[in-house]
Amino acid sequence: MSTNSISRALDNRKFLVFALLAPVLAFFIVFNTIPTLWLLGLSFHKFSLISGTPPEFFGIRNFQDIFFNKNNVWGDLRRTFLFVVVGVSIQTVLGVLLGFLFWGSKDMPGRRVALTLLFTPMVLTPIATGTFFRFIYDPTFGALNFLLSGLFGTGVIDFLGNPSIAYWAVLAVDCWMWTPFMTLMTLAALGSVPKAELEAAEIDRLSWPQRVSMVIWHHGKFILMLGILLRTIDAFKTLDLIIPMTKGGPGQTTRLVAVELNKQGFESFHMGWSSAVSVLLLLISIAMTSIFIYILNRRRKAG
Amino acid sequence: MPQRLRTTLYYAALWLVSLIFFAPVAWIILSSFKTRNDILATPPKLIFSPTFENYVDLFTRSTFMLQLVNSVFLSLAAVVLAVFVSFLAAFCFSRFKPKGTDFLMFLLLSIRMLPGPAVIMPVYLMYVAFGWKDNHIGLIFFYAMFSIPFSVWILKGFLDGVSTRFDETGRVNGGSWVHVIFRVVLPQVKPGLIAAFIFNLIFVWNEFLFNFIIGGVSTQNIPYALAVGAYADGGLNWTFIATLTSIYIVPPVLFIYFFQKYLLVGMTFGTVRGEV
Repeated sequence: MSTNSISRALDNRKFLVFALLAPVLAFFIVFNTIPTLWLLGLSFHKFSLISGTPPEFFGIRNFQDIFFNKNNVWGDLRRTFLFVVVGVSIQTVLGVLLGFLFWGSKDMPGRRVALTLLFTPMVLTPIATGTFFRFIYDPTFGALNFLLSGLFGTGVIDFLGNPSIAYWAVLAVDCWMWTPFMTLMTLAALGSVPKAELEAAEIDRLSWPQRVSMVIWHHGKFILMLGILLRTIDAFKTLDLIIPMTKGGPGQTTRLVAVELNKQGFESFHMGWSSAVSVLLLLISIAMTSIFIYILNRRRKAG
Repeated sequence: MPQRLRTTLYYAALWLVSLIFFAPVAWIILSSFKTRNDILATPPKLIFSPTFENYVDLFTRSTFMLQLVNSVFLSLAAVVLAVFVSFLAAFCFSRFKPKGTDFLMFLLLSIRMLPGPAVIMPVYLMYVAFGWKDNHIGLIFFYAMFSIPFSVWILKGFLDGVSTRFDETGRVNGGSWVHVIFRVVLPQVKPGLIAAFIFNLIFVWNEFLFNFIIGGVSTQNIPYALAVGAYADGGLNWTFIATLTSIYIVPPVLFIYFFQKYLLVGMTFGTVRGEV
């Protein structure tokens, strides 16, 4: 076909729509739809890659097992939700505070460098972050222990080895990584408040709490909500931060749902079971996506 | 308090906050210039005589070059491919709104919301069955698929902002659709293309799990190397990890410095616009 006949064929609207969508659809059917159907099918089977036996139909046994808390699935989910709720709350509060702090800094010398430094934790390779925090947390050589005992006279703390601390130590790293994201979102939310209304509020001598509740909140709430939701979804997936730090240990204390799924699937090769857990996670993530889109649409309507 | 002093204090506080957040990273970079004895010194040393030996050592390791080349090649190839096909699809969604657009956009997004192991498990089985494992093309295609949702969302947002008058004018004046799409509309969504490009690039650059599961020895990138402890010769080799990390964070940090105005768009799937 010459280029001419291609462009003539593209004049047919139906063909054009199809031609534009085809590559993405092809990608999706091959790398997403087929695998997802495969996953759905497997979740009704007992299938281990090591045993060498073909998948054996299992009915809903896998889902029954999940329901009856085999392998402490609900424990993983509980830890994950706690991780999400506590982590995202801390990040939101800190991030919003920092966002307000950075609000008036438009003329600061070197602002761009300062913001780059602030945002660096977000773009660090999580694997590298996790690995290196293991070093910082190290009871013998770690910088943090040295700092803490120097400042507060605490003894040597084994942050990642102590079952009652490890979870919070991991959570702290997550907060360090993602508080800047909430700051970014807060700056965006504050930027969306019209200058005129702020000036009006200043002339009317509204107190700061009033300004926040009456002017800023009204304009900024959607962006902040999107930020919280994006963080929630992301925190729910936390995996590569934890693998180098604790691999889910000590005991099960930092075993989040993605970490355990990774282990069941790719270390123990329990494919049937892992598929069933994945289906459960798929449902959760579809629910979260729906909420995300709902908020997005409400924002669009609100204008 | 005079205004000037107040402003200075305020700026000093902001810088302090930024530096506190950067401190762990600074510690990594500092450690990369230490000798093995200095890095494991107790108490940790702030003042030491810097050495470049670690960097020399790292660059002379053959595996490092392979991993670095893989990192660059995989992320560039996958993201270029993804942004290109996403642009076409986003154009279609934005202009023709075919039936099921909303549903497709939803589907696209939901894949990014799923924990990694759940995404990769069936793909892994498929790759094993077809013998696509440990293959650059296989990995690039998968990364491209994973970068598409982000790119489509970002680009659709930008395309919606370009008036359809441009298309109409182009068409009325006898331009083909190819001309309209690539010559008329494409230049106007450059910021969207850049944002989609940069943020998918950073994602693939930092990605470890997919590389680990459906890649293999010949496709390994640097996060893979870090995760499997490729530089562990009896206990973790901290000097190598510090050096490796210090080199590896340079591109993302440069990106967020030079493309700071795209940061917001990139990190929110294009759902939030504006500058910080």
